[in-house]
Amino acid sequence: MTSTTVTTFYGAVNNGAFWHWPTLLHFCLVALAGGVALLVAYRALTSERFGWRLPALSVALIALDMIVLWAESLARWRLTHVYLFLSIRPASAIWWGAWGLAGSAVLGLLLAFGWGPRRLWGALLVVTSTMALLYPGLALAANSARPLWTPLLLAFMPVTGLLLAWGLALLFRQRDLRPAVGVLALASGLLGGLYLVGLATGDLAAREGLHHLWSEGGPWFVAALAAMVLAPTLLRRYPAAAALLVVAGAVLARTLLVEIGAYMPPLL
Amino acid sequence: MARYAMAIDLSACVGCAACAVACKLENEVPPGVSRLWIRLEESGTFPDLSLQYRPEQCMQCADPPCVPVCPTGASHINEDGIVLVDAETCIACGACIAACPYGARYFDERGFVGKCTFCEHRLAEGRVPACVETCPTLCRSFGDLDDPDSDVSRAIRAAQRVDVLKPEQGTHPKLVYLNAPARFGLGREGMAR
Amino acid sequence: MKRREFLKLSAASVGALMLAPEGQALKLPNPLARAPRAWYEGEVSTVLTYCENCFWKCGVRASVADGRVWKVDGYEANPKSRGRLCPRGQGAVAQTYDPDRLKRPLIRVEGTARGDGKYREASWDEALSVIASGMLAIKERYGSESMAFFAHGSGDTWFGDYLPAAWATPNVGKPSVSLCTGPRETAAQWTFGRGIGGHEPIDWENTDYMVLIGHHIGEDTHNTQLQDFSLALKRGAKLVVVDPRFSVAASKADRWMPIRPGTDTALLLAWLHVLITEELYDKAYVERYTIGIDKLTEHVQPYTPEWAAPITDLDPDAIRAVARELAAHAPRAVLPPGRHTVWYGNDTQRMRAVYLINALLGNYGVEGGFYLAQPPYIEKYPHPAFPLEPASGGCSGASGAAAETIETGYRDAVDHGTFFAKTTAVQELIPAMITGEPYRIAGLVAYGVNLFHSIPDVERTKEALKKLDLYVAIDVLPMDHVMWADVILPEATYLERYDDLVEIAHKTPFIELRQPAVAPMWDTKPGWWIARELGHKLGLQEYFDWPDIETYLDKRLASIGSSLEQAKKVGTLVQRGRPYLTDWEQRNLDPFGTPSGKIELYSQTFADAGFDPMPTFEPPEEGPVGSYRLLYGRTPVHTFAKTQNNWVLMEMHGDNAVWIHPAEAKAQGLANGDYVWLENQDGVRDGPVAVFATERLRRDCVYLVHGFGHRAPDMKVANGRGASDTALMSRYRLDPISGGAGLRVNFVKLVPGAPRPRLPRLTRLAERSV
Repeated sequence: MTSTTVTTFYGAVNNGAFWHWPTLLHFCLVALAGGVALLVAYRALTSERFGWRLPALSVALIALDMIVLWAESLARWRLTHVYLFLSIRPASAIWWGAWGLAGSAVLGLLLAFGWGPRRLWGALLVVTSTMALLYPGLALAANSARPLWTPLLLAFMPVTGLLLAWGLALLFRQRDLRPAVGVLALASGLLGGLYLVGLATGDLAAREGLHHLWSEGGPWFVAALAAMVLAPTLLRRYPAAAALLVVAGAVLARTLLVEIGAYMPPLL
Repeated sequence: MARYAMAIDLSACVGCAACAVACKLENEVPPGVSRLWIRLEESGTFPDLSLQYRPEQCMQCADPPCVPVCPTGASHINEDGIVLVDAETCIACGACIAACPYGARYFDERGFVGKCTFCEHRLAEGRVPACVETCPTLCRSFGDLDDPDSDVSRAIRAAQRVDVLKPEQGTHPKLVYLNAPARFGLGREGMAR
Repeated sequence: MKRREFLKLSAASVGALMLAPEGQALKLPNPLARAPRAWYEGEVSTVLTYCENCFWKCGVRASVADGRVWKVDGYEANPKSRGRLCPRGQGAVAQTYDPDRLKRPLIRVEGTARGDGKYREASWDEALSVIASGMLAIKERYGSESMAFFAHGSGDTWFGDYLPAAWATPNVGKPSVSLCTGPRETAAQWTFGRGIGGHEPIDWENTDYMVLIGHHIGEDTHNTQLQDFSLALKRGAKLVVVDPRFSVAASKADRWMPIRPGTDTALLLAWLHVLITEELYDKAYVERYTIGIDKLTEHVQPYTPEWAAPITDLDPDAIRAVARELAAHAPRAVLPPGRHTVWYGNDTQRMRAVYLINALLGNYGVEGGFYLAQPPYIEKYPHPAFPLEPASGGCSGASGAAAETIETGYRDAVDHGTFFAKTTAVQELIPAMITGEPYRIAGLVAYGVNLFHSIPDVERTKEALKKLDLYVAIDVLPMDHVMWADVILPEATYLERYDDLVEIAHKTPFIELRQPAVAPMWDTKPGWWIARELGHKLGLQEYFDWPDIETYLDKRLASIGSSLEQAKKVGTLVQRGRPYLTDWEQRNLDPFGTPSGKIELYSQTFADAGFDPMPTFEPPEEGPVGSYRLLYGRTPVHTFAKTQNNWVLMEMHGDNAVWIHPAEAKAQGLANGDYVWLENQDGVRDGPVAVFATERLRRDCVYLVHGFGHRAPDMKVANGRGASDTALMSRYRLDPISGGAGLRVNFVKLVPGAPRPRLPRLTRLAERSV
């Protein structure tokens, strides 16, 4: 066959974007909420001086995330979200995310008010905030028909998520997080590189996906990875700049992966 | 209890879209989205040419990726093997839309996800789905795979070639394409057995 | 392990830990989340009627709930639909709820010109009074013949036949004749002594070999025909498709013959040559049922496949092979007549050639060939004799007899004598509106005919409309030409009205009832009501003495021992037919209505009238250098220019593109999706239209799907989408025998640099549906 195949359609094809900018925002906000909640848990477990502000902030971030999700949801007036908590759907990433965020919010409130056993709450909060951090990668990687959403995102999303939250925290006098941010930033860059290598050496669909990613915003993705890799070198002397770099890199990388990553190769 | 399936004979289909229009009205599918659409493909160079007109819709997978990702159980398989969305428990999160390898699901602005139901409501009345009933080329067969005498079982047995879309996804579609023109498809066989 | 399986497995193990299976949610009584109620969940009633979204007239079941038609399905007991419907039939319901419909009578604002499009609303009484006084003034000044009626659709029984005949004008045009089937009807009349009729009488279920010539089954979705065609292929019948374009039918064919446009008759003559010189034809049949084989034998001697090959650009061996295969499968081998046959102006002769091959194959009136379609028996409503008999012909109307002068006391139609057949030619009625020769046409009623998207030379039509004393349009939508009328009458859609009974000539003749499923929306009225009210205002009460349509229909149905009540329940009344010659011979009936009483291979009538008694080939005229012959055709989801405001159908196919061979496109620096203007040999431009570069077309022609390119601002969905092939047909070539307007004689070039049209999104427009 020498000529290419020409394809046209009768009827509307459901190929429009199904997740719009509020969802992209959510994928950053949930990282922030989950990352801050994990920080709360860490402080609750390790710190002697534990105030109400940080847990309150984490609850506020969860609330903000929920508001964004709610505002975008077509079901916002239908109160169906209650079914997230009336069903047991362990195969669903979103179900885990819902429980993770809800649990984190409750624990955050308990900690903010100082009610109950702080350490137990802190330990539980480690679990729920981790669920919140893990769920985006899980939600993306589950879609095996979309080659840009590879299993590597199971690691990339939580790592960049935590990087996003803790990088931002650096700007708010959380100096002890510097080494962790450095490690997370390098890990993010490394995972991002592995992600690209994985696509380039993958099957036909993966390579088509890479081509798509590259043509739609590849240089930006590389720039985001570069920002995260370079940031640790600035951590010591210019911590604020490094923090801004990792946050910008993480936000950009995540947004591109969710937005462009929805690509599905044309059917044969 | 049945295992409903559909077969579309591509050697007969002319891509007239009667099925797509019937679906649209039968199921009040909103403008701009589809439960059923037609892919028109041409291949070759003049005068050695080939066309394939292929209706596409939910593949009613035996192993549907859109079901496990649902956080509320709204996306489910009913006892007749039909993949459905329960609009009353759907939160319109879009996880199933992302998961579907066939682009067969869409957001209904009324707050839930829409998709092909194999015209479940018609089956209850002993009728076939609207797309099958109306097809002027008689290229669609429907019925219970567990019944060897059903239209769909007979059509599949009689076919010279049986294809499913994206078999590598392991979804085991219960919508199969029969007798695709030689130039099209990759000859990948396999369906829910 | 597959990724998804891994995820599922790990999730399942967690689920097991929680001692809970995957499952549905615990449901709460949540009124906010209730699923919207589907139309079929409540009380649904069914109304049997027949479809109007093309003119095939399929029997349908309309499903009504809450006073609205939601769905239309095929009606199992109807021989046209057999329980199935095409996309247009399925989508017709969207037209009823189109917010752009004409909603009440409109009168052109005094002081504005035709074409300005300025209207005021009027009552039915006022609108009909204006029309009646205008018509009576024309009758007074010029005679009743000076009113013309152009009509198409089921309502043409009222506005093409009943009212014009009662009023007494012969100037009635139906586009379905001279812009479509005219040549095949006239040719059939003078070959077999009977026309083809609205339902091509091909015995698909018994045929083993089919040759389609410019016949786009598949893109042309005439329901029954498509079913039959599909079943024939499924049965293993062989298919040959002759077409310059790789049509959908060609893609199903065993052999595609990409013929040079306009040379079909050369191919047909070569097939006749092979069948005769190789003595492959059915000698017994020819001997028994035909006359003129000797003359034909002599006539076809020069037309060898080698002669035809360079003309047609086809392989002579392929030509010969098809003739031999035809003969090998005879009489279960058939060349169907096609439908739209006005191509190059010599079309009656081409159709004669098609029929002669069929006759030589011995398939006419024989299983696997043509069956003999009989109309059903039913009597007309017993009105007093009309002053004139309806004579416009039609898809299923009278086919062209010879144009002889019959003394009626009225003048002949203004096109009388310009061609041979007796039917009128709609496009030939227009010059008299401009020139006043042989006498003036001063008034026009256009019912369901899109004057600007069917009749060639649109500028001439516009000039004619400007000269009229009275121009009335009756339609459902504010079509391009409608917004030129003095008075616009909004008709109810088919789902909202009764019409006259339709009589289908068929293998099993049948009668179909049109009945309303719902009441008319807004202030729209059925055609019968409009015709009757107008008739009364015109002083024609004696012909419209029936008080309502129910009485009229009941009276007619009584003539076959039925009733309206019964017809409403069954929808379709099927009678017995006489499909094969043997059925006629058993009853000692002569099946052939020709002058000789046989199939006329040689037509003495044509010879006497100064035409070739046997088909000859005329080479088509070539176009200007750098231009392409403009070919046109159908999309399966649209009917002519009637359905482009239907959002459901437009969502399937929302505009047309100009098809051109990729090499030709490339040579002009054009890529798929670029916008161009189309400019014809006379400098007429239309567009902008997108380029669709495709290998599916020869390099000497371009192709447009007909019906797009509406310039009708009130049709919000249709307006400005695609290009109009009719606009580019500033020329046509008159077929001197049938009066058909050969339309494939126009040439266009692609003018690059056209802007991409800025149009509202279809989805937004669709959401306005009422």
